[in-house]
Amino acid sequence: MNDSKNPLSPHLQIYRWQISSLLSITHRITGILNLLGLIFISAWISSAGIGENLFEYFSVFLKSFIGKFILIGFTWSISYHLLSGIRHFFWDLGYGYEIKTVNISGVIVIISSLLLTVFLWLIGRGLI
Amino acid sequence: MQRASALIVAPLIVWFLLSLITLSTADYNSVINFFSKPLFLILTIILLITGFFHAKIGLSEIVEDYIQNEKIKNAVNLLGLLLSIIIPSITIILLLYKF
Repeated sequence: MNDSKNPLSPHLQIYRWQISSLLSITHRITGILNLLGLIFISAWISSAGIGENLFEYFSVFLKSFIGKFILIGFTWSISYHLLSGIRHFFWDLGYGYEIKTVNISGVIVIISSLLLTVFLWLIGRGLI
Repeated sequence: MQRASALIVAPLIVWFLLSLITLSTADYNSVINFFSKPLFLILTIILLITGFFHAKIGLSEIVEDYIQNEKIKNAVNLLGLLLSIIIPSITIILLLYKF
């Protein structure tokens, strides 16, 4: 094995679950989900560029139950990653490192990601 | 670069997501109309470039933390780099060709 000397970072199976570690791994998971979403968006745009027949497949999919579920899930994934990213910006600036603040900001990120998801859908659907 | 790209992607993805939610129930012509607007076209192109760029950096960071084997690490990073260049490139070429 040609392994590097770098230590492997988070030993997820060993550590006890805490809100801070849960939010950290969720930031990464949503990051990967957002990449998948970005690939889907690229395919959707490309289909519109190629022609109406191909685009119709995406249209039918997006209007289906699974399609809506995925789009709502993607909205949450983006919302979470964005808000969690703002939290990271505060850490970059040197704020919010106290354990208590970390926990509170974590809970705020979780709750507001759900609210932002609902908010974006209400606006997107022209309901507000 | 991770932070700088995040600042660009954040407002753009919110705007695009709102548009996608609206357009997901709209017909083909509405979508064509959307991308026919020069401002929307440009914003979409910027989103695709910076979005995939941001994803590439993030992916490398994750790979660095979880994969120890140098060969696998390099392979995944190379794959990520190629995809983050090829996918937005094809999409942007199709967009510019069509609109």
